[in-house]
Amino acid sequence: MKKAIKGNHAISYGVKLSKVGVISAYPITPQTTIVEELSEMCASKDLDASFIKVESEHSAMAALIGAATTGVRTFTATSGNGLLLMHEVLHWTAGARLPIVMANVNRAVSGVWNIWAEQTDSLAQRDTGWIQIYCESSQELLDAVIMAYKLAEKVMLPVMIAYDAFFLSHTTEIVDIPDADLVDRFIPPYVPPVSLNFDEPRMFGGFFATDYFYEHRYTLQQATHEALRYYPEVCREFHGVFGRAYDLVETYQAEDAEVILVTAGAITSVSRIAIDKLRAKGEKVGIMKLRMFRPIPVDCWRDVLGKARKVVVIDRNMSVGLGGVFASEIRSALYASDNRPPIYSVIAGLGGRDVTPEDVEGILNHVLTHDKPSDEPLFWGLKQ
Amino acid sequence: MQKMIDIPRQVLVEEELMQPGMTSCQGCAAPISMKIALKALGERTVVVLPACCFAVFVGGYPYSSLKVPIIHCPFETAAVVASGAAAALDVRGEKDVVVMAWAGDGGTFDIGMQALSGAAERNENILFVCYDNEAYMNTGIQRSSATPMGAWTTTTPAGSIKEESKKDIEQIMLAHHISYMATASAAYPDDMFRKFRKARQITGMKFIHLLSACPPGWRIDPANSIQVMRMATQSNVFPIYEVNKLRFSKDNQRFEEDWEYTINVFPERKVSVKGYLKSQGRFGLITDEMIDYTQKKVDRKWNELVQKQDNTNQVIQRQAGIC
Amino acid sequence: MAAKKRSEMAIKHKFKSYRDITPMHVSLGNMLHNKTGGWRFIKPIYEDKIPACQNACPAGNDIEGWVKLLNNKEYEKAYWHLKREEPFPAILGRVCFKFCEDACNRTVLDDCIQIKELERFVGDQFAPATPHPELPDNNGQSDKIRSLAVVGSGPSGMSVAYFARLLGFRVTIFDKEALLGGILRLGIPNYRLPRQVVASEFEGLSLMGVELRPNTEIGKDIPLETLTQTFDYVFLATGAHRSVQMELTANLSCCQIMSAMNILKQVARGETVALGKRVAVIGGGNTAIDAARTAIRMGCHVTVIYRRSLTEMPAHPEEVREAQEEGVIFRFLAAPEDITLNADTTIENLVCCEMELGPTDESGRCRPIRKEGVTFDVPVDTILVAIGENPDFDYLGRRVRSSDTIIRTGDDLSILSDHTDGEKVFAGGDMIDIPHTVVHAVASGKKAAIAMDCDRRGVAFSDVLNQIRIGSGDALSFSRYMNWAPVNPVLQNDQKVVDSTKIVYDYFIKMPGCEKTIQPADLRKDSFEPYHATLSVEEALHETERCMHCGRCTECDNCLIFCPDVSILDQTRETFGYAIDYDYCKGCGICLTECPRHAITMVAEG
Repeated sequence: MKKAIKGNHAISYGVKLSKVGVISAYPITPQTTIVEELSEMCASKDLDASFIKVESEHSAMAALIGAATTGVRTFTATSGNGLLLMHEVLHWTAGARLPIVMANVNRAVSGVWNIWAEQTDSLAQRDTGWIQIYCESSQELLDAVIMAYKLAEKVMLPVMIAYDAFFLSHTTEIVDIPDADLVDRFIPPYVPPVSLNFDEPRMFGGFFATDYFYEHRYTLQQATHEALRYYPEVCREFHGVFGRAYDLVETYQAEDAEVILVTAGAITSVSRIAIDKLRAKGEKVGIMKLRMFRPIPVDCWRDVLGKARKVVVIDRNMSVGLGGVFASEIRSALYASDNRPPIYSVIAGLGGRDVTPEDVEGILNHVLTHDKPSDEPLFWGLKQ
Repeated sequence: MQKMIDIPRQVLVEEELMQPGMTSCQGCAAPISMKIALKALGERTVVVLPACCFAVFVGGYPYSSLKVPIIHCPFETAAVVASGAAAALDVRGEKDVVVMAWAGDGGTFDIGMQALSGAAERNENILFVCYDNEAYMNTGIQRSSATPMGAWTTTTPAGSIKEESKKDIEQIMLAHHISYMATASAAYPDDMFRKFRKARQITGMKFIHLLSACPPGWRIDPANSIQVMRMATQSNVFPIYEVNKLRFSKDNQRFEEDWEYTINVFPERKVSVKGYLKSQGRFGLITDEMIDYTQKKVDRKWNELVQKQDNTNQVIQRQAGIC
Repeated sequence: MAAKKRSEMAIKHKFKSYRDITPMHVSLGNMLHNKTGGWRFIKPIYEDKIPACQNACPAGNDIEGWVKLLNNKEYEKAYWHLKREEPFPAILGRVCFKFCEDACNRTVLDDCIQIKELERFVGDQFAPATPHPELPDNNGQSDKIRSLAVVGSGPSGMSVAYFARLLGFRVTIFDKEALLGGILRLGIPNYRLPRQVVASEFEGLSLMGVELRPNTEIGKDIPLETLTQTFDYVFLATGAHRSVQMELTANLSCCQIMSAMNILKQVARGETVALGKRVAVIGGGNTAIDAARTAIRMGCHVTVIYRRSLTEMPAHPEEVREAQEEGVIFRFLAAPEDITLNADTTIENLVCCEMELGPTDESGRCRPIRKEGVTFDVPVDTILVAIGENPDFDYLGRRVRSSDTIIRTGDDLSILSDHTDGEKVFAGGDMIDIPHTVVHAVASGKKAAIAMDCDRRGVAFSDVLNQIRIGSGDALSFSRYMNWAPVNPVLQNDQKVVDSTKIVYDYFIKMPGCEKTIQPADLRKDSFEPYHATLSVEEALHETERCMHCGRCTECDNCLIFCPDVSILDQTRETFGYAIDYDYCKGCGICLTECPRHAITMVAEG
């Protein structure tokens, strides 16, 4: 069934189709409409879930420790500051191997208020152990939720679906809402690998002394490797059932591209327009859109980017003191590769500043006309 | 033969849900409280443990000393993790399970307050137990907002002993309109047992405030834990009482709420506040002015409590149309 | 559950690889491998101790033991258990000065347990003429059997006969009186101790094989030497029956000035006594009170004249109070000064002088000092003198010095004399230097019996004494001597006394004792019949309910409830008490602090 819905509602539909048992969330712009929609679904019994309307994001995530440990499918959503407040619990839930799925609407964070798009919030959670999936469209969001449960419950790691505030969260698009039966078959009810029961009462978590903690961390790392291996399989199965193809990355005109633009999220859409324009002018340019960012699909990145002459990364985020996070990570991913094209790092669109097709065209022209990247990232569109 | 502690024998001989081998300090009152709590709650209980002494001494991975499921959680999250577990058990259709958050005073009065307040206001169907040893004992005796006036801790050392009064957590919890609030002490185990049994039957938020002696932190002989806790009640410093929420629905449109206060222990052998304080080394530096102040405050609180209990009887009579 | 079992249930995991980390980090076992018992430097043990009441009893009566049995409604067991240390509950239950009740720890809480009344209840439950379950079978070991002659059938004589019989002696009791029981029968009036009660105890002794020889006066009918030659052991128990004379009356020839003790005996024998209307009793001891109340019962107007105040009075306060209720008038701080006689040698007037209390004298009491010139008249018909009784040594010959007022004895109660010629002669009761009470007399009989048995066995009594002495006083435990099992099959510490400082009163609720049913004074004063009834079963059980069982485990479960380390193990009542799992007990001591009755002891490790 096709329906014109906002990005946030696509998430809500994904949650409903995934038959989540416990939802816990705290409102924050621009995430709010997800929980509003879910509240309505719960109130109308369209979704038979228990919705805990907690008093903070920290509690939103913490409630899911209890629920997920008890063996029920769980969901939460947040944004920006809310995500940062969850930080401690993100480490906890990943370390506790709880298959929670969360939508994070990327929102700027700083010492001043801004409610618009920027990915610094989710990228600041890189080290927590959460799987991160970045999305560009409402369809992708809905599909990502369903696939996220499949992945999370297989490898026992939580999954964060990240997407841009307003550009995607509040933009209405036509979405194909899958048939509930098909979803049920794709993600059968969650059966945890260890159940909380009373015949065999167990303690979940607790104190790990020096003799186990190191190994515990190693197993977490191993789980992310498994996620990397398993995700393409999930995508293939999804494609088989629902007809839409996804992968660790998505490319556009990248096959023969000499310059590959790396994007994540909504900037990808405007970038496609710029690519088309430059291709029409004969420039061999293409796009590699990041989808899974944690764990890092290093081999995949090397395969795509190793063929290019130049790589340009647009970061709608900033690791203060370093620069663009994606650029930095791609640089290090390619470092040990035989093919190491120069990487142009561009920071653009912070705090929801619009990045237009013309901006992207300008960025690509800059790259085409410069043989070497500058040491510092290029702050595109900065009022000088 | 006279037997003061009236816990059914059949319950006492049942298999213990708490096993030895725990690394709690000698004379720690927390395991005693847990033993009694679990006897009352039974095996269909989930224990949620935030950072606290109990979370450490119950057993490091891969060992647990309780024969009920335990969920460990971050320090400040006990109430909400319990809420999540309760919601999930509800989804699983296991309505007879009680989820008990078991937190220290830090995880209740201080860092745990936000999540606790949230859960209390939502009247989550959980039992939140604070075993209050009146300081951050797990980290080595630092003051908390549950530390009483005049107490020495490592962060209120000689020269700056705590001048502030203990936070009145019971009033705070009652201000959330929760279903059941009680204080209890392992020094009165049958009262404690009864309250946990009762809490198990009540839907909604139950809060039980336990005083829990800490021999190293209170600077007392481990052998005297229970005795000192008993003195806390005998001096009215820690009154043992319970508050039920009475909800009268006159019609479907209107709710009226009221509170039923019951003082459960009227100590026969009275102890002065000074006598209680001086039984513990941590109050070695308390001033006479602080003792006087505490005595007055304790008297006032006790009188208020008695007044509230009297009011309760009137309310019940009024509702029954007697007056 | 055996203590060792739990540590065997320990599950210890050894991880070899990161692959062994469980999914979701769930626990795989318990902490039972962590034997926290290693932290301990002192450990608790269950150890029954001596309750304050037993400590105070000269006879070492195991009161708590039989009260517990009584509480369990095991009446017969309680009866025989009581008789292990104190053979005559029906008697002592009526006349004992109840040092136990004065020491009772419950007094701090509300009021003492009515131990005396309970003892009477137990004593009245069974006729003494029931076969004694502990009586040894003497068949086939006649060469080891020793014989004992007991001279005098009062409480010490009865006691030594009883215990000696249990020790296998052949025992004969001689008494010059036709009525056996000595002071019990002749001194103590029927209203306090009915003669049938005493008589039936002798039936009991007789049934145990004690030979009774009344109407046989040693020194007259049979010389003492005959006894010492025909019996292995002789026990002297002729008491103190010779009244001390007042100096004032020494030279007066007046038949209306009499010995109070003699009057009591005459009344006991059923002889006719003429006292007149107005009687003055001189003295403040029990004989004085008994005589005064006897006179009241004969319709006299009675005044007791005592030179000190009520506080110093040796008579039991309860007796004094009851005497007052019956109309006996007490003139304290007064002493006879002069007696004038009529021509017919009847008494014309008794002049008394008022006294006042001076400094403490050698008896520990305030010395009475005459108030010069302050006198008053007491118009009387008869004066009964009760200023003390001394033993009669006439039949003992050279064995005593003429100056002796008591018989000097060693620790084993054998008499100390320069002229015993190897005789094994012992003495007890009012003849020796012990307080003149029935229970002290009984205690002396027990001690002498054990001493004679030690002599028979050729073991040093002094060594045995240390093993069987209980509490902080002189009381001996016959049970320990006989190795009889205590009521609680746990370790016994006979030296540690549990006084009120050791009791956790918070675990006891106030519970008043039952009201005594005593006939009103105006009814009882006309009769020599007993005026107060034995407790009913309900009353007795009520009193046993009040016992705090000081120093003795009652399986109250406090230790079980309070142990923070789950190291007190219930034994489902199949075995008495609890086991302690020393694998995990950290030695915190809470079990001891919270034991209401101090039945646990902390002892050093190793």
